[in-house]
Amino acid sequence: MTDLSRRAVMKATGAVGASMLPIGFAPDESSAQEPRNTPAAPSTSGAPQPNSQVQSAPYLFLNSEEAAFIEAAVARLIPADDRWPGALEAGVPNYIDKQLNGAWGTGERLYRSGPWQAGTPSQGYQLPFTPAELFRNAIAAINGEFKGRTPFAKMSAEEQDAYLRGLEAGGKDLGGVPSNVFFSELWESTVEGFFSDPVYGGNRNMIAWRMIGFPGAYASYYDIVHQHGISIDRAPLSLAEDVHGHVHMDPAIPAHLP
Amino acid sequence: MTRISRLDAVGAIVGIAVFCLGSSASVSAQGKRTADAGHGAEIAAQGTAGVPACAQCHAFSGASDSSGAFPRIGGQSAYYLEKQIRDFASSERANAIMSPIAKALSADDIADVAEYYANNTGQFPPLATADAATYEKGQQLARVGDAAKGIQACNNCHGPDGAGIPPAVPYLAGQYAQYIVFEMQMWKRGFRKSSPGSMALIAKQLDDQQIAAVAAYYQQVRGSSASVISK
Amino acid sequence: MAERLKPVNVVTVGVGMTGAIMGKELAAAGLKVVGIERGPARDTVPNFQSPAIHDELRFAIRKALMQDNVKETVTVRNSSDQTALPMRRWIGFLPGTGLGGALVHWNGQTYRFQPADFIYKTHLEERYGRNFIDAELTVQDWGVSYDELEPHYDRFEYLCGTSGKAGNLKGRIQPGGNPFEGPRSREYPTPPMKEPYYGALFRKGAERLGYHPFPQPASTLSQPYTNPEGLTLQQCVFCGFCERFACEHFAKASPQTIVLPAALKNPNYELRTNCQVLRVNLDSTGKTATGVTYADAAGQEFEQPADIVLITAYALNNVRLLLNSGIGKPYDPSTAEGVVGRNYAYQTVSSATIFYDTDVKVNPFMASGASGTVIDDFSGDNFDHGPHKFIGGAYVGAIMTGGRPIEFHPTPPGTPAWGLGWKEAVARHYNHTVVLTVHGASHPSRRNYLDLDPTYKDAWGLPLLRMTFDFPDNDIRMSSYVTEKAAEIGRAMGGKIVAAAPRRGPYTTTAYQTTHNTGGAVMGNDPKTSVLNRYLQSWDVSNVFVVGASAFAHNATYNPTNTVGALTYWALDAIKNRYLKSPGPLVNT
Repeated sequence: MTDLSRRAVMKATGAVGASMLPIGFAPDESSAQEPRNTPAAPSTSGAPQPNSQVQSAPYLFLNSEEAAFIEAAVARLIPADDRWPGALEAGVPNYIDKQLNGAWGTGERLYRSGPWQAGTPSQGYQLPFTPAELFRNAIAAINGEFKGRTPFAKMSAEEQDAYLRGLEAGGKDLGGVPSNVFFSELWESTVEGFFSDPVYGGNRNMIAWRMIGFPGAYASYYDIVHQHGISIDRAPLSLAEDVHGHVHMDPAIPAHLP
Repeated sequence: MTRISRLDAVGAIVGIAVFCLGSSASVSAQGKRTADAGHGAEIAAQGTAGVPACAQCHAFSGASDSSGAFPRIGGQSAYYLEKQIRDFASSERANAIMSPIAKALSADDIADVAEYYANNTGQFPPLATADAATYEKGQQLARVGDAAKGIQACNNCHGPDGAGIPPAVPYLAGQYAQYIVFEMQMWKRGFRKSSPGSMALIAKQLDDQQIAAVAAYYQQVRGSSASVISK
Repeated sequence: MAERLKPVNVVTVGVGMTGAIMGKELAAAGLKVVGIERGPARDTVPNFQSPAIHDELRFAIRKALMQDNVKETVTVRNSSDQTALPMRRWIGFLPGTGLGGALVHWNGQTYRFQPADFIYKTHLEERYGRNFIDAELTVQDWGVSYDELEPHYDRFEYLCGTSGKAGNLKGRIQPGGNPFEGPRSREYPTPPMKEPYYGALFRKGAERLGYHPFPQPASTLSQPYTNPEGLTLQQCVFCGFCERFACEHFAKASPQTIVLPAALKNPNYELRTNCQVLRVNLDSTGKTATGVTYADAAGQEFEQPADIVLITAYALNNVRLLLNSGIGKPYDPSTAEGVVGRNYAYQTVSSATIFYDTDVKVNPFMASGASGTVIDDFSGDNFDHGPHKFIGGAYVGAIMTGGRPIEFHPTPPGTPAWGLGWKEAVARHYNHTVVLTVHGASHPSRRNYLDLDPTYKDAWGLPLLRMTFDFPDNDIRMSSYVTEKAAEIGRAMGGKIVAAAPRRGPYTTTAYQTTHNTGGAVMGNDPKTSVLNRYLQSWDVSNVFVVGASAFAHNATYNPTNTVGALTYWALDAIKNRYLKSPGPLVNT
């Protein structure tokens, strides 16, 4: 009886489970109802293939060129290391795809009347684009830049980082989107996809929550809040998991209530 | 007509895994003693000075028997089990059987036996399932609550369909309905003093039908599939 | 053509906290009341249950409980020489909507203002002389005293069941409470919440420096409590999903847990939801309101006649409605004339972040919106400002409200903004970091104001509210001083790295800094510098009362809610016991 199997058993029975798992080990995978997928190797040099195997659900919004850029970019924004997976393995491209395809992408909660003016930094986002339009325009411009050259996804990690820093610094127009605005939206989406509840398709196996020790969506701490410094060792809990620990994704939850 | 519900395969694996445990107590770098599940297994199996074996009522696997007179304790969080035994010892909880047992156990014994049972789930025996109306009523209370009475969903604190939120909040999923009913009545009538801020208040607002429904639901929700079979 | 409905005695524009209290009380007094709420009906069960409510992306990031920017927003600029542009998404502040309003998803931090705050100008001039206050600041007295409001603070706290420890009982300083607070007539309704680890660490550091830490007064309750309406609240479980989230446990004081059921039981009270009030209607003299016009969910317009119109729609919406209805003279900063929109203020908040070694497990996710420990030593005028060149102060405390990771993943200065270095720092520091909040006053300036935007409109075609605001230099100096004090406490707390982040200008809408928008329809004794008299009654239209933080002459050190609650009961008292007996102006000018 191996140690790893016993851990799987403990988690499934709800007993004290391991919050820190060895990289690549994902007990949920053996019982998950979603199609299996294999985390891609960390991208250090030479890139993952286009249409990487990381994707667990088909892309509904991103075309293959857009997906290739997004996958490579998020892999640099939050890279994997020998201890913890990164944004790519956590399914952040899947999260971004589902958000762009859903209500948020089409302008949920966005005031969309003109006239349009750039404004001061204090005045925030002032472009007419919905998130879907913003990502589509910007990535098309980026991919256009790389036509006839090594695509972003195939550059070395150092080159990719340098390119992203260039976007971050601004000064480039990407199909009407200032590059720093696009970078900022991409970074925010990456952080969201990494740390949000796995119901939205990112934070696969709650790997980001395990990394930091955040216990998740079920939270009732009256009995232990005064035990200063207590260790919460159990696996985190998703709002979308059932009694057996299976997470049922539902990226289309609307941003309103009721 | 009763239907045999399938055994929880996980429980079976764990049942076998029990015999692989053999760790002994140690003192961590900070000087705190680590609980010894192996020693806990011994107490569970054969008792200790003046204390009968836990297995007599709770079974060696922690599955107890299905009468509901003795709660399932297998797979319960060690922290929670420890706290209950200490509560029995301090009279925070009162039970004619558990109180003298708890008082006779040393602090180390309590930690060890809690650690042992935390790591064992035991079988989910085949039990009669509730009728659809009762099951749905229980599920509604578990997942949504009762608007008219101002009662929140049990799952808020008790985890995904009652799977528990370790360390402090116990599982209800798979717990015996009879036992859940009994404890809710103890809170309702003011006999159980632990968790007064939450459980006593809630129990007092639920009527007997609601208690029966939620208990039946939780007994059924683990170990069997979600389908409901009429008796 | 709007359909004219049967007249009622009272209409409340909005059914948030102020509208719910007013509606319940006036219905109980025998009046026919209609509460018109633009958002949907909702309640603890089924809408606010866990785990669905514990969704950081949905509620904290996408702002699912807030006003929908698609329909209406606010335009913002730092100064009159700029063009105001719409807040296309809420970030800097988050107006609520729906039944119960923003008190459904507040943090529960429940402070009284201090006695000196209500006579702020008089007090400061007495202590520091006439030339001490910066010339741009339009600081003034409120027209009401702390002693007059005390019974109403008490009433609101007992409605909420606020958990705390009195520091000053009828003038006698009490151990364990805040020695700087104004005198209270009795103890809090429930005892203080349990102190989380971050609060205990702060307490030790603050005591080491000779300050006076006390438990933050919390309307997330420490134990079950039945309030004077007969409604029972439960004990908060420190779930760490408080601000921006509704409470699944009936443990947070919100209209649906403390007063709405009592209103809805009364046949005198009628609630209409999904109805957007467009304007208050006036008669031909312009001195009497005849009622309101609203559009229902299908866009159909209705006229609701009423004897009394209570504008209880949240500070910003209150001011906008006055402007769109032509009640009161709009403020013009170039002439300094007019009053509607004048004395808009906000809150000056900053922080100090304390990074520990990994042996300190902070567990920030075990928190309520109002748990923790604070000091009042640097609030208001609690210290001698003589040597300093600013007025006002801030409370300092360890009052973390959760550890929700999309927004909370602190890293020390020098950490890269993204990449492997960032990720490693996040993993290293998440559970070993305490953030101290520095929560400071916001002083009104003749340059900061609210008016109607000339360009941008809401979904009903009405002009949006335009906000012209930047931090007065006074407040930046104040923030710098108190934030440094917070950093000192951080070092006394044993932090390995202490990063102070004082508030810097210009004011930006791109970082959240409380939803404490105040002023614009201030109360006072002089119609030249106030929109309302001391009973929150409009000087211009005597059957209109405007209840909310819009009445604040300035925003003091503290969170507004408790003072809004007190003013609500104070105004209610005037309406019930004076206005109803003799309708008309309650104060002669």
